[in-house]
Amino acid sequence: MTRLNSYRELEHLRQRFREQRQNITTTVMVCGGTGCRTSNSQAVIDAVRDELSGQGLDDSVRLCVTGCHGFCEQGPVIIIEPGNIFYCHVSPEDAFEIVYQTVMKGELIERLLYEDPVSGERFKTEAEIPFYKAQDRRILSQNRLVDPCSIEDYIVAGGYSALPRVLNGIAPEEIVNEIKSAGLRGRGGGGFPTGRKWADCMKAPGDEKYVICNADEGDPGAYMDRCVLEGNPHLVLEGMMVGARAVGASKGYIYVRNEYPLAVKNSRIAVEQARELGLLGNNILGSSFSFDVEIARGGGAFVCGESTALMASIEGKVGEPRAKDVHTVVDGLYHQPTTLNNVETWANVPSIILNGSSWFASKGTKGSKGTKILALTGRIKNTGLVEVALGTSIREVVFDIGGGGVNGNLIKAVQTGGPSGGCLPLDKFDLAVDFDILAEAGSMVGSGGMVVMDEETCMVDVAKYFLTFLQDESCGKCLPCRLGIDRMLEIITDITEGRGRMEQLDLLEELGDTISQTALCGLGKTAPNPVLSTLRYFRPEYESHIKEKRCPAGVCKALITYRIDPDKCNGCGVCLRSCVHGAITGEKKEIHVIDTQLCQKCGICRSECKFDAIQVV
Amino acid sequence: MLQYVNVNIDGATVRAPRGTSVLDAAIEYGICIPHLCHVPNLSDIGACRLCIVEHVVNGRSEVTTSCTLNVEEGMVIRANTEKIRRLRRNLAELLVAQAPNSRAIQDIALRCGVKEVRYPFRNSDCVLCGRCVRVCTEIWQARAIGFVGRGKDRHVDFPFGIRPDFCKQCGNCIQICPMTIPPCDGPMKPGEEYLCGKCESQLMIADETPGSCTWCKLGEGFGCGRYVGVT
Repeated sequence: MTRLNSYRELEHLRQRFREQRQNITTTVMVCGGTGCRTSNSQAVIDAVRDELSGQGLDDSVRLCVTGCHGFCEQGPVIIIEPGNIFYCHVSPEDAFEIVYQTVMKGELIERLLYEDPVSGERFKTEAEIPFYKAQDRRILSQNRLVDPCSIEDYIVAGGYSALPRVLNGIAPEEIVNEIKSAGLRGRGGGGFPTGRKWADCMKAPGDEKYVICNADEGDPGAYMDRCVLEGNPHLVLEGMMVGARAVGASKGYIYVRNEYPLAVKNSRIAVEQARELGLLGNNILGSSFSFDVEIARGGGAFVCGESTALMASIEGKVGEPRAKDVHTVVDGLYHQPTTLNNVETWANVPSIILNGSSWFASKGTKGSKGTKILALTGRIKNTGLVEVALGTSIREVVFDIGGGGVNGNLIKAVQTGGPSGGCLPLDKFDLAVDFDILAEAGSMVGSGGMVVMDEETCMVDVAKYFLTFLQDESCGKCLPCRLGIDRMLEIITDITEGRGRMEQLDLLEELGDTISQTALCGLGKTAPNPVLSTLRYFRPEYESHIKEKRCPAGVCKALITYRIDPDKCNGCGVCLRSCVHGAITGEKKEIHVIDTQLCQKCGICRSECKFDAIQVV
Repeated sequence: MLQYVNVNIDGATVRAPRGTSVLDAAIEYGICIPHLCHVPNLSDIGACRLCIVEHVVNGRSEVTTSCTLNVEEGMVIRANTEKIRRLRRNLAELLVAQAPNSRAIQDIALRCGVKEVRYPFRNSDCVLCGRCVRVCTEIWQARAIGFVGRGKDRHVDFPFGIRPDFCKQCGNCIQICPMTIPPCDGPMKPGEEYLCGKCESQLMIADETPGSCTWCKLGEGFGCGRYVGVT
C-alpha cells in the first residue's frame, strides 16, 4: 500500500475499500480471541474457510476472524451478518451446516443457538441474549467488526477518523479540554482524571515527550486489556496518536507482557501496517506531526504494571518502582515528561474526539463517566467480558448479566479490582460500579476484575490466596510491602490452620493500615485491601476460624474433616475406588468409613458420591 | 549560586538550599527523623520507609518519605505527629522482628518507640537497606554487588553468585552495613520478643525528647546523617 500524504487520500482509500466490498452479501464473524482459541476456534475457522471456498462463496461471503466477543464461556462463537445470528459452542463439524443452511439458505440451526441457563429459552440473535442485552458495549462492540490483523477492516469501519481531526483543526489545548470535559478517568486501576494528566504533561518542559500504553495486565482473572489489544489494536494506536498530538510527544511505547503472545503479535502487525500507510512516522498525513510507536515486551512481573516500574523496565533497568514525589508527567521515561495510560483508556479516546465529550459523558455517574469493561469470573453462570456504563449496580452485573450462582448456590460476595481491590458482601450489591463509591466501601473498580464468590468460598482463604499472590509478586524494595505482607500471610496462615488468636485480628488491621499508608508504590499501598475488606465485612468468619476452630465454608483443610453420613451411604463403593490415599474402607452394600488419619481432604470422594453422603464437618 | 528556600518542619523554620531533601535539612538542624537506608552522598531510594513524614498540602496531609522529598519554598512538614510515630513504630517493629540480633536495628527500633514485638523473631542477617549496593555502585562505580530476586527471595549478591574481578575488595560494603555492629546478648530470643533498652545507647532519654536529636550511639555506630555531616 502506498503512503498517505493527506487527509483526502485517507478518505479516498476508505472509499475504495468500501467499493471493493460492495459484492459481499454475508459476513461470517468467527471469534479468534484467546478464549475461543482455547476452545479450538482455529479448527472452526479453517473448516468454515474450506467450506466457503468449496461452495464457491469466496467473493460474496466474507470470513472475518475477529477479536474477543466477550462471551468466552460459550466459545467458539460465530456471528453471521446480516441477521445478527449468534451461534455458540461451534465445532468444526458444524461448518458444513452453517455454510449450507444459514449462509446459503438463511435457515437457523436450532441446536447451535444460545440457550439461556435461567429460562431454558433459545435466542436467535446476539442482541436478544440477556448477557449482551444488559450491557453497554462501546468498545467491545467494535471488536466483532474488525479483523485485528487488517487495517483495511479498521478503516472501512470508520477508523482513523479522529486522527485527521486532531491534525488539522483542533489545537492540542482543545483536545485536552475535550478529554477533561468528557470526564475520562484512568481505566487501569487508579481512576486518575486523564485530562488532568495530559494537561500536566503538555505544560511540563522537556525536549522529548513520551506516551506509553500500559498493557501489562497482571490481575488474576482479568483480561480486558488483552482482549482490546488483541481484538482491535488500531483503536489503541489511534488513541495514542491523539494523546501524543495533545501532549506533544513524538515517541510512544506499547508495554505488553510477553505472556500475551497474540497481543504482541497483533499490535506489532498493527504498527507495521500503520507505518506502511504513513499513519505512523514522520509528517503524518502531510502534517508537521511526527510520531512512532514501539512495542516493548514485559517479562511478566506484576509490579511492572506500576507506572515507574514500567518505565524502568522500558529503560532496560530492573522493574522496580521509585518514589513519585515528582510525578511521571514531569519526570518519567528517560527523565522526560511521560503520559502513561491503560489500554482501555486509550481505546476510549478516538470516540471522544469523534462524538464529542457530551456523548461520552452521557453514560456514567457524576464522578465516573463512560463505560467500563469488567472481567466477570468466578462462581456464576455466565462468565466473560462485560462492558457496562459506570453507575450500573453490582447486582445488575452479577445477576442480570452473570445469571446468578452456578448450581443455584447462594452468592456471598464479589471481589472487585483484583489483588488491590476488596471483597464486598451481598448487602453491598446495590452499590454502583463507580470509582469513588467502591473506594469508599473499601474496594475499588481497579482494572475491572470481578470475581464472584458463593457460599462454598471461605473468605479467609480468599484473603490468603491474594496475599500469597502479592507476596510472590512484591518487588521487595520497600520494607512495609516486603515484610508487612509476609507477616500478614504468616498470621492468616496461622488462622486457617487453627493457631489463630483473637488479638491477631487487631494486629492485622493495624499492620494493614501501616502498609497502606507507608508503602512505596500504589501496588504496595493497596496490597492489604483484600485482608482489610474481608475483615471489615466477614469478621464472623475469621472469628469462627479462631474461636471455634471451624471453617464455615469447609475450605480450610486443617479445620475440616470428611465423614460419611451413615443414613445416606448405600455402600456402592464409588468413593472407595476413587480415593487415591486408600483412606476409605467398607464392604459392598455396607456403610463405608473414612479413616481421618489417612484422609488428605482432597475432596475427590465428595465430588464422586452420587448420594451426597460425604459431608464436610 | 545556591538558592535557599524556607521550609517549616514541626513548627521550626528551616533554611536549606534548593535540591536538598527534607531529611537532610532536618538533620542539619538537629531535628531527629529516624532513618536507616539513607546515607549522606548516596542516592536515596526510600526503601526502609522509617523517615516518613506528613507533608501538608492545602490542608491535606500526605505520608511520604522525607529522603525522597525535596525542599520547596513554603513547604509544611510534620515529622513527629502521633500518626507518624505510630506508623514508624509499626515499621520498626517489622524490621526488628526480622533481624533481632543487630544492635543497629535494636537501637533504631527503640528510637522509634518499639518495646514489645508482636511477631515471632526471624534471624536474618540482612534487612535489604541497600546501603552496600549503593556505595559499591555510586561511590566506587564497581557494581560488584546488586539485588537479586524479587519479593521475599530478594537478597544482595555478586553477579551469578561469584565474586567478580571488578570487585575492588575495598570493604566499604561491610563498613556501611548496619548489621556489622557487634550484637548484644540481650533478650533477643524466640519467646522473649521485647527490647530492654538498657545498653549504653542511652536511648531511654529518647522517650522524653522524641523530636530532637540525642546524638544516640546508634547514629555513631552506623553513620547517621548527623554524625557523617560532622566528621
